[in-house]
Amino acid sequence: MGSSEKRSKDIMSDIPTFSAENLQNNLKVIQNSRTFLSIIAGVLAGIIGFNGLIGFVFYFVVMLITSVGLMAKAGFSADLYFDSWNRVLFDGFLGGLMSFVLFWTFAYDLVHIF
Amino acid sequence: MAEDLVLDTAIRDWVLIPLSVVMVLIGILRYFVSKLMRSTPTPDAKMVKEGQVVIRARNLKVGANFIPPKSFRARRFYFSNEENGLLHVPKGEAQNPQAAMFSDPNMAMDMMKKNLSMIIPQTLTFAWVNFFFSGFVAAKIPFPLTQRFRSMLQNGIDLSTVDVSYVSSRSWYFLNLFGLRGLFSLILGDENAIDDTQRMMQMGGFGFDASKSLGAEKDGLDIIQHEWALPRFEQRAESVLRKLVK
Repeated sequence: MGSSEKRSKDIMSDIPTFSAENLQNNLKVIQNSRTFLSIIAGVLAGIIGFNGLIGFVFYFVVMLITSVGLMAKAGFSADLYFDSWNRVLFDGFLGGLMSFVLFWTFAYDLVHIF
Repeated sequence: MAEDLVLDTAIRDWVLIPLSVVMVLIGILRYFVSKLMRSTPTPDAKMVKEGQVVIRARNLKVGANFIPPKSFRARRFYFSNEENGLLHVPKGEAQNPQAAMFSDPNMAMDMMKKNLSMIIPQTLTFAWVNFFFSGFVAAKIPFPLTQRFRSMLQNGIDLSTVDVSYVSSRSWYFLNLFGLRGLFSLILGDENAIDDTQRMMQMGGFGFDASKSLGAEKDGLDIIQHEWALPRFEQRAESVLRKLVK
């Protein structure tokens, strides 16, 4: 992740000092991480054999773990890399759901159905 | 009472896995074909100039608070002056985007290429799935669904006693169609290797109205509340030093 040149705090907080390119790259990192982990979650849920609602709960648990991981990656200082905390915590939360369902179904069928 | 079906392992080997592999490969193939078919447009000097002017105006807007008020007013005047500013478009010179679209055959060609690269693979793949895999119960969805999903998920299977969570190969095709988008964004990356100028030109390729864009930037510049940040830097430095002295 590319850090902003200046730390935005106190009286500086109303002036945006983020580099647009770095911010875009950071958001792309978040999207790629969430997509990758939703696929991993789908494969894991299928292999373990989760059924019904438990699978979707597993998906949201993995997304929460992803949020914690991204926060740790940002050093728990989201204001250095993003313009708001919501970017790290909730952006793209539901974006990987279709990939999750696909890989969940695929892995579940390979392991438990055939 | 719906029964649990026992699906043959041959269905896994000859229906489910080939269908999934083909979906992935077709996505990759379509990406590379569209990449090869992309024609580099000859840049129009006027459009490139206007795109650069818009980018410069945006940069001024973003960094407005880091320059003194006098400098900012001079730059804004340079861009927004009503007589000869960079963002000013004389009345008669505003080009008609539709006329430009009709007069340039390259635009129609590019549009047709994009549409074809989207429609042809899906049509061919759907026909292939129908020809080779029609009538198979291909997979079981691991969560319960109501009867209303039957017509959608068991398209091609005409048995009313089969549980709704069993899906046909046609539905598996559609599930792949939607679910593989995330995988493609991971393995193929994004096509944003284009720089700002080319992105502006791509916007210009489809009805980009220069007078509207320049006018919008001009209005945006006019309404900026400039507040010089540098004196507050001094205050912040003073407070930091006082904190250190304590």
